Amino acid sequence: MGETEVGTGLRAKLRAYVEEAFLYLHPDVELRDEDQFLELGVIDSLGFVELVEEVQSRYGIAVDALEITEENFGSIDALVAFVERRRPS
Amino acid sequence: MCGIAGIVRADADAPVAEEALRRMAGALRHRGPDGWGLAREGGAGLVSTRLAIFDVPGGWQPMRGERGTLLVYNGEVYNHPELRRELGGAFATTSDTEVVLRLLEREGVRALDRLNGQFALAWWEPAARRLTLVRDRFGVRPLHWAALPDGGIAFASEAKALFASGEVAAAPDLAGIDEVFTTWGARAPRSAFAGVAQLPPGGLLVWEDGEPVAQRTWWEPDCARGGSAAPAPGDLAELLADAVRLRLRADVPVGTYLSGGLDSSLISALAQRATDHELRTFSVAFHDARYDERPWQERVARALGTRHHAVEVGPREIADGFRAVVAHAETPLIRTAPVPLHLLARATRAHGITVVATGEGADELFWGYDLFKETALRELHVRDPARAEALLDGLYPYLDVPAERRGPAWRRFFFEAGAPGDPLFSHGPRIAATAVVRAFYRPEAAQSLAGADPLARLRADLPPGFARWSALERAAWLELTTLLAPNLLAAQGDRVAMAHGVEGRFPFLDHRVFAHAAALPPERKLGPGLREKAELRDLAARLLPAEVAARPKQPYRAPEVAPFFGPHAPAWVEERLEARALDAVGIFDPARVAGLLRRCRTGKASGFREGMALVGILSTQVWHERFCGAGAAGWPAERSQPRVRLDVAAGITS
Repeated sequence: MGETEVGTGLRAKLRAYVEEAFLYLHPDVELRDEDQFLELGVIDSLGFVELVEEVQSRYGIAVDALEITEENFGSIDALVAFVERRRPS
Repeated sequence: MCGIAGIVRADADAPVAEEALRRMAGALRHRGPDGWGLAREGGAGLVSTRLAIFDVPGGWQPMRGERGTLLVYNGEVYNHPELRRELGGAFATTSDTEVVLRLLEREGVRALDRLNGQFALAWWEPAARRLTLVRDRFGVRPLHWAALPDGGIAFASEAKALFASGEVAAAPDLAGIDEVFTTWGARAPRSAFAGVAQLPPGGLLVWEDGEPVAQRTWWEPDCARGGSAAPAPGDLAELLADAVRLRLRADVPVGTYLSGGLDSSLISALAQRATDHELRTFSVAFHDARYDERPWQERVARALGTRHHAVEVGPREIADGFRAVVAHAETPLIRTAPVPLHLLARATRAHGITVVATGEGADELFWGYDLFKETALRELHVRDPARAEALLDGLYPYLDVPAERRGPAWRRFFFEAGAPGDPLFSHGPRIAATAVVRAFYRPEAAQSLAGADPLARLRADLPPGFARWSALERAAWLELTTLLAPNLLAAQGDRVAMAHGVEGRFPFLDHRVFAHAAALPPERKLGPGLREKAELRDLAARLLPAEVAARPKQPYRAPEVAPFFGPHAPAWVEERLEARALDAVGIFDPARVAGLLRRCRTGKASGFREGMALVGILSTQVWHERFCGAGAAGWPAERSQPRVRLDVAAGITS
């Protein structure tokens, strides 16, 4: 069940996006892939809107309201798993 | 229209230096470029700079009344001819100033209820050594004051004149700045400066012989219909036509600002009917089609037959005008929207027009802003989530990201931004969105703000009965209190217009129109299917082309990030945002700002959140440099001869 090679690239890209778009506001935070964005306070509610928008447009995924959960969007790990599961193959 | 300022001392024998008064007048010259006057006597000094609108040859200030009191007065009382007739007797001038002074001398502050207008005034009664400061109902005209160490008081239309006096030092009030980054403006009595208070809208302050003895409001907006089924007082067509007619009273040519939307088009149509002259209309046009409303402006101007002028604004003009606007506004900003209006006022003045009527106030009174629709939908969401979500997708058609892509996260942001029982429910999304600027505070600044929650202060100031008002009535009160007075009428209104000696007049803010709007059945303001301002649209359908009367609202916006980056960006932008400059001011964290700058430089900061953060940080830096920095500019004294000099101290009265 290891991450695919494509998945590694995906992880790096998603991390780069989160760092560039959100982490500059939290220079003291060393974000690990399993860390929860909301718990750490690195993404606020409107930031969450931007994050979901970005995932939708970048990977061509139509996100349903019920899918906007911390399980799917709450951490780098969650994002990678969600995009891998949902993006068109 | 004018600027006013003055100093009164606790010690009646302590002089007020003429040089200090001249510097105060110099700092307010833009508000009153036609001349100035001063009065000095017994530990008091008053100055006025005048933009002559009524009784151009007479009407100079300070004015002494028949009972020996002195008045400096900024603004207009539109019903002064009627009040003059009621008062009877002989008047030396035909100005409204003299009418106001006589009313005050005869009736005291009880007379304020009789005034229909927009004004700020300072009234000095030498015998009692009493100074009364007053501001109009909605806070159209500004008035600042500061307590002096000797027990005296200094006041001025703009804070810069307090600093020019040499008696008040400019320093930031972090709590005031924090209010800008919470609800979009520092709310009176707070200002962005430590030790400088603003008189609240509808407020008055009485200082007597060494101390303030009364601070209260003489008028407050009651936005509640109170469950009354009684018809709203008056007929809107008649009230608004009369409000426009009164506001076109001037001894100089007048015009209107025309955005192309419903409110300003309606005011322009009524103004055209009320004037014998060819009406002049003035509009902001944008290079960028996303912001531009030119086709609508031209359509209305053609239909009404006005002589129309447009000022075209691009990113460069916004960057070039930004620092001057901050200097006039005297506060950090969160949007660039005041800059085009500054340029519009300059063009208006260049065409020889000094008085303009605008549509300001209609969206607060008749629930036109999207915020009211959001509030209605967020309430509906509790009962009918599917319908509320479908309707929310129809809001904000002007945003860069189309509704289908904004999608469900956007909906959740709105529907989870506070509970309907919260008195500040309507403003939850705005407060949450604006909080992005506060995330850039350096830790020391954030720490020093602990215990100064701007929302706690707002909650404490809610009017009695607020809890019983509907969510939309509460939203209206909050818009009047947190947005209209501290931001739209100030940074985006009075300050940028008076920067060029142009006076804005606001027929919707006639208190009779307000009373009518407040008493309307709610569906006349926000109807089924989120149709807004039915009351205004019905009137507009009789006066304007059908497509204008039915046009959906487009908020007025200006580009936020693009003007400050790229090949044409001025060098001062990056200089003011360098770590050294940020450290010198001590409010924002350089590492965080550097991250934002990377996004801005690469064109990735396109959302309104980062736009707001950039404008907030940059304007704070510019504001601090202008007023509080070591290199803050001096305040040159007015050197011309005063048109009025009432100088008991020097034994001169002329």
